[in-house]
This record gives sequence, C-alpha cells and structure tokens, in this order.
Amino acid sequence: MTAIIKQELKLNLKSMLIWALTVGGLGFICILMYTSMEGEVMEMADSFSQMGAFSDAFGMSTLSIATIAGFFATEVGTVHGLGSAMFAAFFASSMLSKEEDGHTGEFLFSLPVSRGKVIAAKGMAILTHLVLFTLICGIFYVMGFAALGEEVPGEEMARFLSCMLLMNVEIAALSYLVSATSSKTRMGLALGISLIIYTYDILGRVVPSMKDYLFIGPFSYANASEIFAHIDAPDHSFVTSVLVTVLATICTFAAYTRKDLAS
Amino acid sequence: MDNVIRIQNLTKHYGKKRGVEDVSFDVNKGEIFGFIGPNGAGKSTTIRSMLGFIRFESGSIKILGMNAVSEHEKILKSVGYMPSEALFYPAMKVSDVIKYAADVRGMDCSDEAAKLCERLQVDTSRKIRELSLGNRKKVSIVCAMQHKPELFIFDEPTGGLDPLVQNTFFELIKEYVNEGATCLLSTHILPEVRKHCDRAAIMREGRLIKTDTVENLIHSAAKYIKLTADGKTEEYMFSGDINDLIRELSGKHIENISIEDPSLEDMFMHFYEGGKERV
Repeated sequence: MTAIIKQELKLNLKSMLIWALTVGGLGFICILMYTSMEGEVMEMADSFSQMGAFSDAFGMSTLSIATIAGFFATEVGTVHGLGSAMFAAFFASSMLSKEEDGHTGEFLFSLPVSRGKVIAAKGMAILTHLVLFTLICGIFYVMGFAALGEEVPGEEMARFLSCMLLMNVEIAALSYLVSATSSKTRMGLALGISLIIYTYDILGRVVPSMKDYLFIGPFSYANASEIFAHIDAPDHSFVTSVLVTVLATICTFAAYTRKDLAS
Repeated sequence: MDNVIRIQNLTKHYGKKRGVEDVSFDVNKGEIFGFIGPNGAGKSTTIRSMLGFIRFESGSIKILGMNAVSEHEKILKSVGYMPSEALFYPAMKVSDVIKYAADVRGMDCSDEAAKLCERLQVDTSRKIRELSLGNRKKVSIVCAMQHKPELFIFDEPTGGLDPLVQNTFFELIKEYVNEGATCLLSTHILPEVRKHCDRAAIMREGRLIKTDTVENLIHSAAKYIKLTADGKTEEYMFSGDINDLIRELSGKHIENISIEDPSLEDMFMHFYEGGKERV
C-alpha cells in the first residue's frame, strides 16, 4: 500500500504544484494589491457593507474590506475557496477512473493488492496532496502579509486554512465517489458539484428562508469573512461535513469493490 | 496439488450480453496450457474472472487451491499476469514501472528483473510513452516474471514482439516451467499452441467446446475428408467409425478422395465455424 501512496504522490506532484502556485500566487497578488487599492477600498468599504444581501453573501457586512484582514477574507477567501474546491474536485475525480481511462487497471489490479487497499492508498495520496496544497497556499498568504509589513493574524489564518482543508476533503470525498461510480464526464460532474456547493452557500446567504439550511454546505463553516470576524459557524455544519465525508467514502468502497474492471 | 487452476461451471454475462457460459476446465501443475478461441470467444472474460477483475454470476474458480474470490489477493502473490494491451503509466520510466510492480509485491526482484531485461533487451532508462507496443510487451513480460510466480497467465502475449523476442519469451516460459511453474497461454496463434503447449482448450461463443492434449486435438478421431464424387466436391470433418464412412461412400462414383488427420488450424476452424461434421 505504501508503494501505491508513494507512486500517486510522485505522479501527481507536478499537477498539485501548478494548482498550489496558481491559487497561492493569485492570493499573494491579491494581498499585494491591498496597498495600491487602500484609498479606493476605504471609500468603497462603507457602501459595500450596506448592500444588504449582496454584502451578506460575500461577507462584506461582517468585516470591513478597508482593513487588511477584511480585504484578505473577502478577496483571497473567495479565490482560495473556489480555487481549492476545484482543485479537490479535479484531483479526486480522476484518481480511480484514470486506471480505467488509461487501461492501466489490468496492470495495477494484477498485483497482489485488494481494491480496498487501492482505494485507501489513493485516498491517502489525495489527503496528503490537499494538505500540501493548503500549506503552500498558506505560505504564499503569509508572505503577502510580510511583504506589506503587516502582522499575520495567525489564529484566524490557521482556522481559515483548517476549515478550507476540511471543506476540500469533503469535496474530494464526493468527487472520489464520482470517480468510482460514474463512467463518463466524471471531471465535469465533480467540478459541477463543487460549483453547486459554492452557489448554494451564496444563495443561502442571500435568500433569508435558506439561512437555516446553510449548514448542509461546507462553505458555511469555511466562510473566510465569518472566520476572521470570529463569528461561529452554523450549528451542525462541522458534524454534517464529517458525516458527508464518511458516507461518501463508505459508498466509494462499496461501489468500487463491487465494480467490474472495464477492459 | 495437481490442479493449479480448477474452473467449474463458470458463467458470466455483461447485462444481456453473453460473456461465458458454463465453462469448466483444469490446468495441471507444470503444464503449458493453450487457451484458444477467436476474438469474443470468452477467453479474456475467463481470465479476468480468474484474476478478480470482474465478478461472475455462478460457478467456482480455484487457483493454487485457493478461492479466486475470497483469496484473490493471496492468489495474485503467486501469479504473473501479462495483459494483452501492456499499458503502463506514460510518464514513468521503464525501470520505475518494474520496481513499482516489485514494491507493490513487497519483494526485491532486482536480480531477476536485471536478468530478464538483459535477455529481452529492455532499455530501462526510457519513458513508457516513448515505447512501441513490442517494447511495452517486453516490460510487461518482465513485470509478470520477475517475482518467479508459480502460475503464469499470458493473454495474447506475442502480438507486437519480433520473432527473436518471441523465441526468448518461450524459452523463458520453458525455463520457469522446468523449475515447477505452470502456464496458461491465451492466444489465437495456433502454431504457438502446437509448438509449445501440452494441452489446450478451445472456446467458441462463450462456451468451452473441447479440452484435450494438443496431440489428441490434432490426431483425434475426427478426420478431414476431401471428396469428389458424382461430379460434386465436398470437404468436411468426419468423426466416428471409419467403416460407416466407407459404407456411405460405396454407393457413390468416387473420382477423388483424401482422408487426413486435421491440422490444429483445421480443428480450430472447424470448431470456430461450428463446421459441418458427420458422425
């Protein structure tokens, strides 16, 4: 099993680095833009915070974008949230299916390793890459704060990245299930799921009647503005996330261990 | 344990499509067993069921005395399988693929792998994506043989290999078999079966239609008859008492007749076409 984990880490390292450098780099540039936009942002902050549901949806009613922490949470929070969710979906949706797409399944599964162990090993590789991706992005964000000579809000940053990681794990678990079950358009489906989850969160924050059901989506606890404003995540959101992740993983095992390997 | 492979009443369908129906045969320890049939006959379905790639509906498969479903992982430790397609991860180097296969097995096969690479002239420094089909097949042979398994399963192994490498491949099989290994060779190249196999099974349309020694398949009771009589020419296989044939022919005006043992190709074509046979 260790050999498969190592193999997957090695094979996907370049792809993970490209995603991390892109998302982290974009975040870094966003942070640097704060100084050049500081004046305009000050003027916009008030009006942005009074745009009702729109301000709620993008977290501008809870945190002023005139501060570096508020600017980071609203701008980089959105970039990282969407970017990392798409990375998790892209990465996990091809992890199992690529063996059948590339016809390498017959080679892999002729080795003395059960399908359950393959699922576990590839799952560990996904988790490791998600952690590395988050750490690399985190380094970029810290560098951004340092470049501006601003103090890094350590606790909030750590909580923000941890929540994003948990959210990415949930999206990866759902995409992993797609990889194990769907025979066509897996990547489109997985990317679609991550975008639907993001849209659900935006809608939930705009439509008052949906607010009580926000906890279903992982963006509810990974909202950067609320994390930096020290607002608690909706009740049950973490438990729901863990339950969805565990359930998707169980379904992945159940489906893939019973599936005929495509020739 | 005499039976290295024991398949009993194996049945597998792909939805409404036929896979294999009621297939039963044994492969004995130390033999090279030919598994013959045209494309779509069910050879690969049988092999994929043996290796646990697909789930079958009924029947049982025992390999090396172990249940192919419940002891699948344990079986694969003692099996070297070469698929027909020989596809690997394109970005990997040949040496990495060979080492990866050994690592997953938890074995250090470097000495045997080096020996095989030398015999088969495998360039281990190249990337998989740079290799031709023949060179990928050579890598596949190394991966299947480097751990010196008790059972080899080869699915159309020689396609794409040049004649010299084919010779080396069969020499290697014979060397391992002489050391106690067993080999199932799935192919539709009949001269390979005639030259290298002890016994063979013929598949047609998902069913096993004949299992026997290669010798018996060729020199079976069935005779290949070519007859020109009463102005008509006929060719057919005849099995049964030759005296009945002579009695049947006695009333005809025979211009020419030949009665021969069929070649393996004739046998195969006869079974493949579901050919006309008189008993």
